[in-house]
Amino acid sequence: MQLIEEHKGMLFKICRIYQDDDADRDDLMQEMILQLWLAFDSFQGKSKFSSWMYRVALNTAILFFKKQKRRPDSEQLPDQLDHLQAQELDTEKDEQLALFYKALKQLNKVEKALIFLYMEDQPYEDIALNLGISEVNVRVRLNRTKNKLKDIIKSMNYEYR
Amino acid sequence: MNIDDLKDAWKNDEQGFVHLPIDMAIQGKTISAVTRIRKNMKSEFIGTLCSYFIFIWFLFFRQTDPFLFNITSLLFFSMVILNAYYFFKFYVFYRSISKYDASVKSSITKVAYELELNTEIYKAHSFCITPIAIMVAIGLLCGKQTSIYILQGLTDASHNSSSHLLIMLGILLISFAGAFVLINLHIGLKYGKYLAELKAIIRDLGEEAI
Repeated sequence: MQLIEEHKGMLFKICRIYQDDDADRDDLMQEMILQLWLAFDSFQGKSKFSSWMYRVALNTAILFFKKQKRRPDSEQLPDQLDHLQAQELDTEKDEQLALFYKALKQLNKVEKALIFLYMEDQPYEDIALNLGISEVNVRVRLNRTKNKLKDIIKSMNYEYR
Repeated sequence: MNIDDLKDAWKNDEQGFVHLPIDMAIQGKTISAVTRIRKNMKSEFIGTLCSYFIFIWFLFFRQTDPFLFNITSLLFFSMVILNAYYFFKFYVFYRSISKYDASVKSSITKVAYELELNTEIYKAHSFCITPIAIMVAIGLLCGKQTSIYILQGLTDASHNSSSHLLIMLGILLISFAGAFVLINLHIGLKYGKYLAELKAIIRDLGEEAI
């Protein structure tokens, strides 16, 4: 439990990337913690705990089903429901990060995983292991996804270098 | 703005979440797709056992016609055997618990396979059981007139009895067709979208996608 507590920030970011509203994020958070707990026996200490945790958490997020009664995936959230916008954004970087999260919502699940692992400074080799694809594939996809993000951000009338 | 320039802000970002206590989270129930199917199947198994008691009560206390009693008993016995076979299959299937500690590609492939296999077994089960259950229900709820009608259809060689037999075959055909359509619709609505999404991710993760 202590290990999960130490890496909780990473779980929050995954929730923020993969789910749009607070209730779904809470559900995903609970599901990820539960799956980490259930799978903990399989952690043999051969890799870093954080790498193992990335894998379980991302798998859970990608396979997560929203509850049926809630809004379907295809419906877009109105802007005012996005709590990121309701928060005070202190610095330019915070504003950029909020915009970045918003742009991430337009990526597919695999692209989100790629960008998440990249932002977490994971080496290409580890990203490849976590996703189950080759290192070359990771590099190609990452470049492609970064370009896609660039276009999305530009379409939001924001400068991207 | 540049993605690499945001890494520091990203590392320091932990805002906006209600911090769910971890010990509370691990006591919660999982809502993963496969787990939900397992839960549904468990409820269905309990429902099936309950329905057996109702069937047996009707058969022994309400059905007075000997022919209908015999034919319904045979159908009921066939239904019990089929249900026992399928529920055993489901039980074996459920024992292989999915854990999400493999790579994304392997985990998704495994879950998609489990989901598809399970829904196909479920479809086969429902396709076999539903028409027999309908016939058992007819056998339990109908009386002397139906007994004579069925006997004529099965034993007489007259033109009139052929029409009885045709009507019985028609009822059987409609039961099978109805079961087929309803089960496919039910599975498609409940899990079709999810399965399609998983398959799209698997395709997307294929090496040839680069």
